[in-house]
Amino acid sequence: MASIVGSYSLIFGLSCSFLIIFFSIKNFKNTQVFDNRILSFTFLQFFLVVISFFSLILAFVYSDFSNETVFNHSHTTKPLFYKISGTWGNHEGSLLLWLLVLTLFISIFLLKSKKQKKQYRILTSLIQQIIIIGFFFFLIMTSNPFNYIFPIPKEGLGLNPILQDPALAIHPPMLYLGYVGSSIIFSSSLAAMTLNDISRDWAKHIKQWVLVSWFFLTLGILLGSIWAYYELGWGGFWFWDPVENVSLMPWLALTTLLHCILVLEKKLFLTSWVVILSIATFTLSMSGTFLVRSGILNSVHTFANDPERGLFILIFLFCLIFLSLFIFFFFFKTDKNNNSLFWLSKETAILVNNWFMVYFLVVVLVGTIYPIFLEVFSSEKISIGPPFYNKLIIPFLIPFLLAMTIGPKLKWIKSDLRNKGYLILFFIISLLLSIMIIKNLSINFLVNTVLVTSAFYLFFITSRDFFVKGFNKLSQNIAHFGFSLLILSILFNNIFSTEIISNLKIGETFEGKNFKIKFEKIKQKEEYNYKSIKGKFKIENLDGSIEVLYPELRIYNQPNIVTSEADIKTNFLTDKFMTMNYVQNQDYFNVRYQVKPFMIWIWLSVILISLGGFVSFFKRYEN
Amino acid sequence: MKIINYLIIIFVFLSFNSLKAQDQNDKLNIEITKNLRCLICQGQSVYDSDTEFANSIKILVQNKIKDGKSEKEIYSYLKSRYGEWILYNPEFNKNTYLLWLLPILMFLIGGAIIFKLFIKKKN
Repeated sequence: MASIVGSYSLIFGLSCSFLIIFFSIKNFKNTQVFDNRILSFTFLQFFLVVISFFSLILAFVYSDFSNETVFNHSHTTKPLFYKISGTWGNHEGSLLLWLLVLTLFISIFLLKSKKQKKQYRILTSLIQQIIIIGFFFFLIMTSNPFNYIFPIPKEGLGLNPILQDPALAIHPPMLYLGYVGSSIIFSSSLAAMTLNDISRDWAKHIKQWVLVSWFFLTLGILLGSIWAYYELGWGGFWFWDPVENVSLMPWLALTTLLHCILVLEKKLFLTSWVVILSIATFTLSMSGTFLVRSGILNSVHTFANDPERGLFILIFLFCLIFLSLFIFFFFFKTDKNNNSLFWLSKETAILVNNWFMVYFLVVVLVGTIYPIFLEVFSSEKISIGPPFYNKLIIPFLIPFLLAMTIGPKLKWIKSDLRNKGYLILFFIISLLLSIMIIKNLSINFLVNTVLVTSAFYLFFITSRDFFVKGFNKLSQNIAHFGFSLLILSILFNNIFSTEIISNLKIGETFEGKNFKIKFEKIKQKEEYNYKSIKGKFKIENLDGSIEVLYPELRIYNQPNIVTSEADIKTNFLTDKFMTMNYVQNQDYFNVRYQVKPFMIWIWLSVILISLGGFVSFFKRYEN
Repeated sequence: MKIINYLIIIFVFLSFNSLKAQDQNDKLNIEITKNLRCLICQGQSVYDSDTEFANSIKILVQNKIKDGKSEKEIYSYLKSRYGEWILYNPEFNKNTYLLWLLPILMFLIGGAIIFKLFIKKKN
């Protein structure tokens, strides 16, 4: 029943699009007044997609296995929370979520843009409707969430257990809010370009949307990273895995755009660059979806793919790129202003920021798609992993951090470095501090010292600004401070992490250099939809402190998969991380124990970074 | 007596050294296996994986290190046996010139564009 309602609301939702387009075209030139029917039908469309989404949730909650999506991804013994989150834990449902956010955002856009010109609003909504129609067709034709199966199966196939996790329940919605937010930026910049209306006012207006998408995308990536840290079981938080890269690329583009739009807001400069970035951000989000869903990538995160779907997104993507190129070449007029550019100014600093950000973006992009192309053209398979990214990114991170420290100190148009003696003082302090930390370690002295110095430098200067500037430029300061903290935490985490892997039987003790690990016992327990085997490990540290960790193995009933749940003891300085793994036909377990300093600071600093965007959004809202 | 003392000191020193070497070997082993792809997994390194394949590679690498093989030799051995697909650190050869140089090239082009912006504005 729910499926029928959902299915029909989708079709009605699609027809709304055509009505909206019809009214938009009629309204575009005729009168001065915005036709409110466009607004009404946009709301109606959103409402219909909500109904459709809720009926899918209902089908999941009541385990209605006559629905193919529910059958493939749910099971009666699954806890209610994961029945609900399972709605978007699969390809069909997650696309419905995309559509939901798409229609939600265009409704909000139309409500919030009443001060903007009529033609601009209509055109933005028109382009957005083209995207929406594309997704409707994609959903209905290749991945309908409401397919019916007969005879009705008694039991579903279940959701992949590693997806049964609270962080992963909210990770996709967050990420989609970011991705889809970029669609508004895309439509809006195309509309403004067509009307030759890219102005400072437009920059102010669209910056809100940039901030919103950026905020959610940042949090979405963070949640995914936290999930990978504790769920995938080897204690890393970023693997340079293609699917992770695919979410990082729009983020990099969006961050570049966010900085670039600051310039446009002040003076009419870099307009074409802003437009290119707006187009790139959404295109990257879309191609991300394409790469993940098509199954081309070899990734630990692959869970839903089908070549036919990939092809559809690819064609759709090409249409959108073609449309944007068409508008860019035929409507866009380059800025004829004669703003002079002085080498020492905030504009230059932002240009430098953009330069490096785009470079990082290119590194990630090339690293992600190069193997695909190489395989097609020469049928040779190569892998690109962390060493590639480290080699190309780390050396460039150093000047980037330095520019990030000095850039915000500069004024618009023309600046000098008088009265900035503290910049040198803080640099010397950072350098000495780094040398003291690094010199006793058996790692590459030069690279690490320079890297840590530049991160400390940014850290101290931004910390100082909290005291000196107070609430002035708070958002920027929080974000930059967060970034310095992030780099420092990652560096120290890398430098000071220790790890051991050992095979242990129950009762055995592992003797390490600084600690002893005793495998005391295991406890078996029957849970609702899995069998749990919990190990008890006692860790005696050299300083006498004792820690008890309980890593767990879960044998899920449906699908029959064994997962390993890490036990993590977190405090402000270090994480103690332990997993155990089952080894076939042996009476021992494979145990992995890691001491990872500053883990929590990595998460906190990303939260700080996104908080910067949050503050900026509300500060603007008050104005 | 004195000689025995010296011998003990030398012995302790030697065993300490070999202990340190053991430690170094473990570190090298971790570093190498982190740079190898587990061929039967979905995007996991050999180090991160606990599959039979990964475990056999771990032991293989350990033995090679014990035999005194250098990091480079181990990589090239594995490459000849399993193909380039196993290496997470792509080599610089005719297949990968573009991979390594394209980002750098883009960086230079970006710099040139910014530079041109200054020149143009001055005139």
